[in-house]
Amino acid sequence: MKLQSVSLWLLGIILILCSVDSRSFRRCLISTDMHHIEESFQEIKKAIQAKDTFPNVTVLSTLETLQSIKPLDVCCVTKNLLAFYVDRVFKDHQEPHPKILRKISSIANSFLYMQKTLQQCQEQRQCHCGQEATNVTRVIHDNYDQLEVRSAAIKSLGELDVFLAWIDKNHEVTSSA
Amino acid sequence: MLLRLTVLLAALLSLRPGSDAHGTELPSPPSVWFEAEFFHHILHWTPIPNQSESTFYEVELLRYGIEPWKLIPTCRQTLMLSCDLTAVTLDLYHSSGYRARVRAVNSTQHSNWTVTNTRFSVDEVTLTVGSVKLEIHNGLILGKIQPPRPKMAPAGVTYESIFSHFREYEIAIRKVPGNFTFTHEKLRHENFSLQTSGEVGEFCIKVKPSISSRTNKGMWSKEECVSLTRQYFTVTNVIIFFAFVLLSGALACCRALQLYVRRRRKLPSVLLFTKPSAFNLSSQRPCPETQDTIHPLDEEAFLKVSPELRNLDLHGSTDSGFGSNKPSLQTEEPQFLLSDAHPQANRTLGSGEAPELGDSCSSDSSNSTDSGICLQERSLSPGTRPIWEQQVGSDSRGQDDSGIGLVQNSEGQAGDTQRGSALGHDSPPETEVPGEEDPAAVAFRGYLRQTRGTEEKATKTGCLGEESPLTDGLGPKFRALLDDEEGWHPPALAKGYLKQDPLEMTLASSGAPTGQWNQPTEEWSLLALSSCSDLGTSDWSFTHDLASLGCLAAPGGLLGSFNSDLVTLPLISSLHSNE
Repeated sequence: MKLQSVSLWLLGIILILCSVDSRSFRRCLISTDMHHIEESFQEIKKAIQAKDTFPNVTVLSTLETLQSIKPLDVCCVTKNLLAFYVDRVFKDHQEPHPKILRKISSIANSFLYMQKTLQQCQEQRQCHCGQEATNVTRVIHDNYDQLEVRSAAIKSLGELDVFLAWIDKNHEVTSSA
Repeated sequence: MLLRLTVLLAALLSLRPGSDAHGTELPSPPSVWFEAEFFHHILHWTPIPNQSESTFYEVELLRYGIEPWKLIPTCRQTLMLSCDLTAVTLDLYHSSGYRARVRAVNSTQHSNWTVTNTRFSVDEVTLTVGSVKLEIHNGLILGKIQPPRPKMAPAGVTYESIFSHFREYEIAIRKVPGNFTFTHEKLRHENFSLQTSGEVGEFCIKVKPSISSRTNKGMWSKEECVSLTRQYFTVTNVIIFFAFVLLSGALACCRALQLYVRRRRKLPSVLLFTKPSAFNLSSQRPCPETQDTIHPLDEEAFLKVSPELRNLDLHGSTDSGFGSNKPSLQTEEPQFLLSDAHPQANRTLGSGEAPELGDSCSSDSSNSTDSGICLQERSLSPGTRPIWEQQVGSDSRGQDDSGIGLVQNSEGQAGDTQRGSALGHDSPPETEVPGEEDPAAVAFRGYLRQTRGTEEKATKTGCLGEESPLTDGLGPKFRALLDDEEGWHPPALAKGYLKQDPLEMTLASSGAPTGQWNQPTEEWSLLALSSCSDLGTSDWSFTHDLASLGCLAAPGGLLGSFNSDLVTLPLISSLHSNE
């Protein structure tokens, strides 16, 4: 009897920890207003995606690749991708049109805010990067490097909707419409 | 030679692959775009300017990120400007998107490719509604929105499964003749109800779906109309009606029961008895009864009354009912007040009354319970019975005395009108006073009749019963007696009787009975004016009364003597003291 009760207690504690563990990361970006970013992107989507002349190449890999990431790696992948966009894509892109530039700037600022939110949320525990997360990040960077910088930047900007959809799915962000 | 060269050159030129001729000549479609609904993806393009009958278009599709372009053979039809690519884009909702390109082809040439501007993804799907069903229920419009159910959708994939959260619908209502009014409210569910607030007519509704977490555009549904008619036979109305009927029936039954219970019933015959008729002066009561009751009165009390007193109209008419036989009392002085003065008074009196009055008066202080009337205890004769009945003849003199014959004509003077002589007779049997009554015992001295109504002939009107408003505590017996004897008038006349209570009582409560005496006093004063013999004033201050009465005019000297006598007389002194 005692052994059974002790084992049950342990199981319960483990389950709670796991749920907390997995959910904590999923809830980190819950306050982010993703809808606003998505709307901003929709307005410039046509202009940006029209400039993409290499449809058979992708930077962010396919959605299946991103979908295959496990919940434990979500934190690491999110952090890496946010850093990729903020550090490489937005810097490499040179936008001549002011209207489009304004929208891109707002999206960039939102990404910065999301980075901070994610950092605060995970200060308590380290965002451990597994092997798979590291692989995915590396592939993305390789894809980006294979193209010419301007084309790569344009292409990456054009693929923002994929990235945003993935965040929506993995972080249970509530829509504040 | 030259001719051969030109022919060879032409042949060579024609043999060369004619791509240049095709590419340059044929323009590409200006624009290509997707128009997609839920599992209904249509690719559209604009035609080239110089379209011929043999021109057809080729469509190729690329899944974003995956290499080869795939040709779609089903779109290869002449003069078609759109193509349904749903079958090849089933994975749209789970993938990054597609790119498509189109080029114009005719028999010899083909144009360049024109690619879609944007990557075709879920964001480009226009949301629609399958159908809206309306029904009326109790004056409410109940609606049910049906999401689209396309045939091309794979098994298990539904609108709700792909857009699992944040589905919203906007509603627009209009009454048939008018325009649409937008509610600006979004429904969160597919089922809704509309309150029309009692309006009747035809209502049309249309719905636009949207996903709040997405930027997808929505499309208004088809109009669905329903007509509302005024319903009278709704369930609630019927229930209310029946409840009302039941309630009214219950009330009617209760009322009927109540009436039945309270109906007038006839008294059983056993319980019936003749109602006592209203007091009627003419009704002949068993008078003897009253008379009988009167009889037991202690006659002794009245034996002491001196015949002189009797003779004295102690009350001009309002005086105590002491043998107010003589009408000449009006001129009499209040001799009776003074026991000592009695002899004098008696002398003054026309009637030769015995001067023993004073004896009794002086002897018994209690005698004069009256308002000064010295009810001499001097019994005239024990055998005498109190003359309750007033002489008939004397009645005419206007003696509305109560008739209490306190004047105890002891001497068988019954019936004799001349008391004067009786007095004389009475004087001797003074000793025969049936025991001097104690002052206290001789409480009852009769009644000072206070009022004087019209001096009517006292007729024996019979037993008047208890209707006399004698508030002085007269017993019914006395009242009856009085009525009987003197036929005193209805109570209205007799305002009351100064009950001749024991001296102490009356004098002590001088204050109390003042109220009672009020009326009598007035009348007394009146009476006094008429007859100075009215000594029955409520005030026991004889001196004052005498003066106020103004009766002193005639017996002026007498008054003076009276005054002094009053003071000296023990009786009066006692009276004064008691005052």
